[in-house]
Amino acid sequence: MDGIIFLLPVALLLGAIFAGLFLYAVDRGQFDDLDDPPERILHD
Amino acid sequence: MSAPTIPGTASVSSAVLHGRCPHCGTAVEGADDAFCCHGCEIAAAIIRGAGLERYYQERELCAPRPEPVSGAWDRVPVEQREDGCSEARLVVDGLRCASCVWVTERVLEQTPGVTAATVSYATGRATLVWNPSITTLGALARRIAALGYRPRPLTEAAKPDRDLALRLGVALFASMNIMLLAASVYAGWWSTMEPRYAALFHWTSLALATPVALWCAAPFFAGAWSGLRHRQLQMDLPIALGISILYGHGLIATLRGEDSYLDSLAMLVALLLAGRMLEARGRRRAAEAAVALAASVPPTARRETATGLETVPVDQLRHDDRIDVGAGDEFAADGLVTEGSGQVRMALLTGETDPVPVAPGDRVVAGALLLDGALTVRVEAVGEETLVHRMAQGLEAAADRGVEPTAGDRIAPWFTAITLAVGALTFGGWILASGLQPAIARTVAVLVVACPCALALSQPLAAAAGLGATARRGLLFRSADALLRLRRIDLVAIDKTGTLTGGAPRVVEADDATLRIAAGLERYSNHPIGRAIVAEAARREIPLPRATEVREVAGAGVSGQLDGQTWELRSGGPGSVRLRSTGGEERTIRLADEARADAAGTVAALHGLGLKVVLLTGDHAVIAERLASATGIRETIARMDPAAKADWVRARQAEGHHVLFAGDGLNDGPALAAADVGIAMGHGAASSVLVADGVVSSDALGPILAGLRASRASHRVIGSNQRRSLVYNALAVGAAVAGLVNPLVAAVLMPLSSGMVIWGASRVETLVRKEETWTG
Repeated sequence: MDGIIFLLPVALLLGAIFAGLFLYAVDRGQFDDLDDPPERILHD
Repeated sequence: MSAPTIPGTASVSSAVLHGRCPHCGTAVEGADDAFCCHGCEIAAAIIRGAGLERYYQERELCAPRPEPVSGAWDRVPVEQREDGCSEARLVVDGLRCASCVWVTERVLEQTPGVTAATVSYATGRATLVWNPSITTLGALARRIAALGYRPRPLTEAAKPDRDLALRLGVALFASMNIMLLAASVYAGWWSTMEPRYAALFHWTSLALATPVALWCAAPFFAGAWSGLRHRQLQMDLPIALGISILYGHGLIATLRGEDSYLDSLAMLVALLLAGRMLEARGRRRAAEAAVALAASVPPTARRETATGLETVPVDQLRHDDRIDVGAGDEFAADGLVTEGSGQVRMALLTGETDPVPVAPGDRVVAGALLLDGALTVRVEAVGEETLVHRMAQGLEAAADRGVEPTAGDRIAPWFTAITLAVGALTFGGWILASGLQPAIARTVAVLVVACPCALALSQPLAAAAGLGATARRGLLFRSADALLRLRRIDLVAIDKTGTLTGGAPRVVEADDATLRIAAGLERYSNHPIGRAIVAEAARREIPLPRATEVREVAGAGVSGQLDGQTWELRSGGPGSVRLRSTGGEERTIRLADEARADAAGTVAALHGLGLKVVLLTGDHAVIAERLASATGIRETIARMDPAAKADWVRARQAEGHHVLFAGDGLNDGPALAAADVGIAMGHGAASSVLVADGVVSSDALGPILAGLRASRASHRVIGSNQRRSLVYNALAVGAAVAGLVNPLVAAVLMPLSSGMVIWGASRVETLVRKEETWTG
């Protein structure tokens, strides 16, 4: 059970990395337009 | 201005269209590769030059015929990027299929100076990045127009709200993790959990919840604070209160090693932010489309100098400058005609489409269109002094309707007062019954479950769903407020020209042979009557012949040779043109500005909804009566000037009616501003779009009906959502008073009630569809 003391921060860190990636993606405009990219791949 | 629709929508299966214009698909006499007009020829040359012939094989629908565009490209907000490039956004009309988007993007990308170009099929937005030292936005817009699509300037480019997305992302991340931790804490109630682990979980939860309460929830605190400062109790206030209590309790509970409501807090903030985001998305789409204006004053003018002509930006024009205006140009300034003659279309200003002949000594106004001829104009008023600008400004001021408090905001003060009173009673009751400790716990529980998350979500979500439903049907609202106001409407006033009718003449009577010759003469014409004749020929699939020695005489007509004879096309009195040959043959084509195809059906459906429909027009009573009886309108008021229309609207309002006004011209502006809900036709005057609450984006009346239905559906959903969430709150508060609510119960109840509201909002579209199938 003591492992939790080590694992909990690790789990949170992993989560934080993904949250950070999400924030980075928002900042780069990946979520600005959710309607067109699905149409676009049909035509390239 | 609504151009006659060319039936380029003919579907195509191969690259070569036999007997048709290879670009737009209009039937043409002669060789297979003959173009119908210069515009199509140029468009095809651009596409071939860019190596994009594949477009002609892959497209599903033919392209529209290219038409010249004008627009205030210099007024489009341009963002200067760090790499020295400029970035701006435009609206592009006429994109019919994915191939249109593809070819537009590729052509732009291959244009020198362009570093990136993306075009959105769903929203019709183009985002352009270019090097300002090589090209200009105006040049790029003309390039789009050359392909047959119509770019329009976006005067207020609304950037997507990334701030809200960031807050939502953080809130979701935190709430998911806190929930996981909370699940183990609650599991610890039934099995055993060592205190040090419980403490670890509690402190971790607090660490995760802190940014949620302090940063993610900041918009609610800001809203509550601004409400307080303006002495208005808004829905944000009880929310901010709830969040503060939840976080304050969590802080103390964690210090004391007790269970907290922090999981509920994070979930609540995440749900509320998600609701805000959905609302903002629906609103941004609608508002952006509404500000996309076909600005009618051209950005440049041709000024006469001692040596010749120079092209100058409009803001450099001075009084007494002389400007040259050619056929198809819009006037850049108000002024006095000194030389030349021609016909001017003032539809944007007066609402009436008949061209007005002008000669030296006549006055012209900025924004009007010179249909034929050529003029020299002495400038008398520029920029902000022009009539069109002054009228638009006056209208904007008049249209300031202010923000109506939402139903939620009306409930909010009562809600807050009742919650606080119940909290105080609970505290008092339990302190007498079992002491301070349980009294605090139960009071906190009351304040937690009373937090009106579901109630706060019910209106914005249903309104956003309603805005989406109307947008899909071709009506774009500036705000959810206007959509909700529509329900109270009991009187619909419709302007005639351009609203009930298409705003441009259409051929109503002509035989095929006559039409063929007339269309051959008018093939390259920009005159509305010429375009109507060509459009009708294209509709009947009559191949366009090629006339020779075509001569256009300003204000008089057009002549040319065809089939070995010389023909002359002249005006034949109101509503008709006469075709005369040298051999003495004479034929007539009748034209009329007819009611829109869906006008009668829409009027019948409006009557079916129990609304009164009235036709208001500046035109003669006879014409108005004829249109009214054709469309089923029972009341007509003719010969009204702009002020009379607005007065009429105010008089009906004084009688207790709620008036919807639909119009399109600058002359309709005062009435649009005065009405409870003003709806402008999207192809109408820019200023009418500015003062209206909503804009019809398609060439039809039906969207107005869709708006009324969506408003009713949204109100029904809001009503049932509010009843449900009030019942939920009452039950939950009752349980909390009785001491039955603990952090686990709250964690289950809260998402349940919010989920119920989200499900309710998703029913708006279903309700609108149901009504459509019932009433047609």
